[in-house]
Amino acid sequence: MDLAHGVQLVSFGILAAIAIVAALGVVLLQNIVYSAFLLGGVFASMAGMYLLLNGDFVAAAQLIIYVGAVNVLILFGIMLVNKQQDFPAIKGMWIRKGATALVGAGLLVLLAGTIVTTPWAISTATPTGDGSTLKIGEHFFSDFLLPFELASVLLLIAMVGAIVLARREFVPEDTPTTEEELAFKLPERPRETAAIAGGSQTSPE
Amino acid sequence: MDVVTLASQLNAGTIIPEGIVTLTLLVVLVGDLIAGRKSASWLPYVAIVGLLGAIAALFVQWNGTSDTIAFLGAFNGDALSIVFRGIVVLSTIITVLVSISYVRQSGTSLSEFLSILLAATIGGMFLCGASELVTVFIALETLSIASYLMTGYTKGDVRSNEAALKYLLIGAASSAVFLYGASLLYGLAGGETQLDRIGIALSQIETPAIAPVVALVFVICGIAFKLSAAPFHQWTPDVYEGSPTPVVAFLSVGSKAAGFAFAVRMLVTAFGSLTEQWHFIFAALAVLSMILGNAVALAQTSMKRLLAYSSIAQAGFVLIGLIAGTESGYASVIFYLFAYLFMNLGGFACVILFSLRTGTDRISDYAGLYQKDPLLTLTLSICLLSLGGIPPFVGFFGKIYLFWAGWQAELYGLVLLGLITSVISIYYYIRVVKMMVVKEPHEMSETVKNYPEVSWNLPGMRPLQVGIVLALVATSLVGILANPPIDLAKASVQRSPILQASISPAKEVAVSRFAPVQSSEFRVQN
Repeated sequence: MDLAHGVQLVSFGILAAIAIVAALGVVLLQNIVYSAFLLGGVFASMAGMYLLLNGDFVAAAQLIIYVGAVNVLILFGIMLVNKQQDFPAIKGMWIRKGATALVGAGLLVLLAGTIVTTPWAISTATPTGDGSTLKIGEHFFSDFLLPFELASVLLLIAMVGAIVLARREFVPEDTPTTEEELAFKLPERPRETAAIAGGSQTSPE
Repeated sequence: MDVVTLASQLNAGTIIPEGIVTLTLLVVLVGDLIAGRKSASWLPYVAIVGLLGAIAALFVQWNGTSDTIAFLGAFNGDALSIVFRGIVVLSTIITVLVSISYVRQSGTSLSEFLSILLAATIGGMFLCGASELVTVFIALETLSIASYLMTGYTKGDVRSNEAALKYLLIGAASSAVFLYGASLLYGLAGGETQLDRIGIALSQIETPAIAPVVALVFVICGIAFKLSAAPFHQWTPDVYEGSPTPVVAFLSVGSKAAGFAFAVRMLVTAFGSLTEQWHFIFAALAVLSMILGNAVALAQTSMKRLLAYSSIAQAGFVLIGLIAGTESGYASVIFYLFAYLFMNLGGFACVILFSLRTGTDRISDYAGLYQKDPLLTLTLSICLLSLGGIPPFVGFFGKIYLFWAGWQAELYGLVLLGLITSVISIYYYIRVVKMMVVKEPHEMSETVKNYPEVSWNLPGMRPLQVGIVLALVATSLVGILANPPIDLAKASVQRSPILQASISPAKEVAVSRFAPVQSSEFRVQN
């Protein structure tokens, strides 16, 4: 084992340890702010993994998008809500936690077994190394052109939807005046508010 | 790569229908920006004209080109995808017709609703033809995110918020599971993302490996969520009850049809060598959906929840055709979805109209409706009877075709279960019909006693009437004139190379390994 391999192995070990510990912290810690910061740690160590795999563009994208945008957004969300609430302890919570842990562990064993036993078809193409950005660009404008263009529709509609959700609703200008229009009630609205006031979960599952 | 040769290889003409819908989406958005609030009077008609244009483009494609692979394998515009895309667009047209007055009355803006609906349509259409993992995922997400947004569109309504949040969380989880399955496929195929190449790679795995099965299960999680097949149905009742009714109409038909197209293409092309396994999993899903959907629907008091459980059960019936895996099996899936389009949308159009006039959707409030509104009663009765599978209507022929195809494929247990559960389903459908028709005048519910004068001249009501009459005519006449749509469904199966490749060698296990190879040969010939 030469020096390069050794460095790679050690860095992988460190990154993997950070990722696992941080991910466990995200799930297990009670304080949501800690969870959010640790999530950033998971994302950053993932970026490190991409770097080890020679994916420099993907690593940069991971840092900018996930750590820089998504995680900061989550933190902003937490800060804006800023609600301190002590939930009452639920009886028999340990059963649920135990069951969750059991299912999670089972899934881990299954997936790990899958990964170890499978004869993976390793790609024979030579790694692009520094030219990966160029290569990704070429793919975007050849065989991944359709999803690339379709993503623009997705982003457009996500933006429109975000604005719809965030904006303050106008009161309709044309209030019903005629006899006929007054006959129309707002669909299903008055009933819900009544239902919520009197305990909503009455309808059978 | 040279730009000119690249442009000629793209074969971009295949996505002209989607292009037309995208253009319509932009016209609706920009038209609203320029004309302001007044534009609400003409924007829906722009959307309908655009969607009709897409139908026309699909029709031209049906008769036209033989080269269906576009964007270097990312999209396959074969006959199968054309039929499914047609179903998605038709469902959007009817949804637009029935949503105009609803959105007006709920005090939300129409243009954003239309543009989100059109984006969902674009996502659904691309999902019908996507034959490459990245395209599949982006199309799926376009459809899903637009659906989440529409579900939560009436912000002032707490139930709509709850429905949107539930749908978003469960949908995101199922997308993530699907994505994990897709990443396993990518690894198993040695870095291929096109479905047919993944199929070849999977068929070449010698030893019985567990990884393809894990990938299959994860992919089916993503598919079954879109189909709302049990046990991936938990979101359905709450989302159907909480979200605006026109949205539910689209989700129950358009989104489901796109899900079926996606299921057929994904499973037949990529998992051709695991046919037995996915037939087994889908048989379990079909059994659960038919039993659970029909049994729980018996206890419902809300019309929208009733239709939610009914839609779970209907997904179970359609899965029988998919499991049959024969030519008539796939054709019956297409024909049933075509029938389901009209009868279910007709049912939802009536629920919308009733809730607009009375503000309620409880089944007991429908009592004695026939004396006040004969058209509504007639359409809702015919649509529900058709959903239940009562003879002269289209649903009966659809179900017969499905069960016949299943029987031919020797799925006796599933077909018998389907027959028994559809008898159960007739009970809860007829209960609603009885409530509307049989009750004496003095048994009329308070809501119906206060029923407003029927008037179609109010803004937005004329399109709703057109939608209702369209569904009524189609539900009652297509049953009698069933041949053209059945021929269309059969022709689409016969003309789709991916299905032909999976049908012919399916009986012999030894040959099935070469099925994906054969499919690529078919592609060259076409």
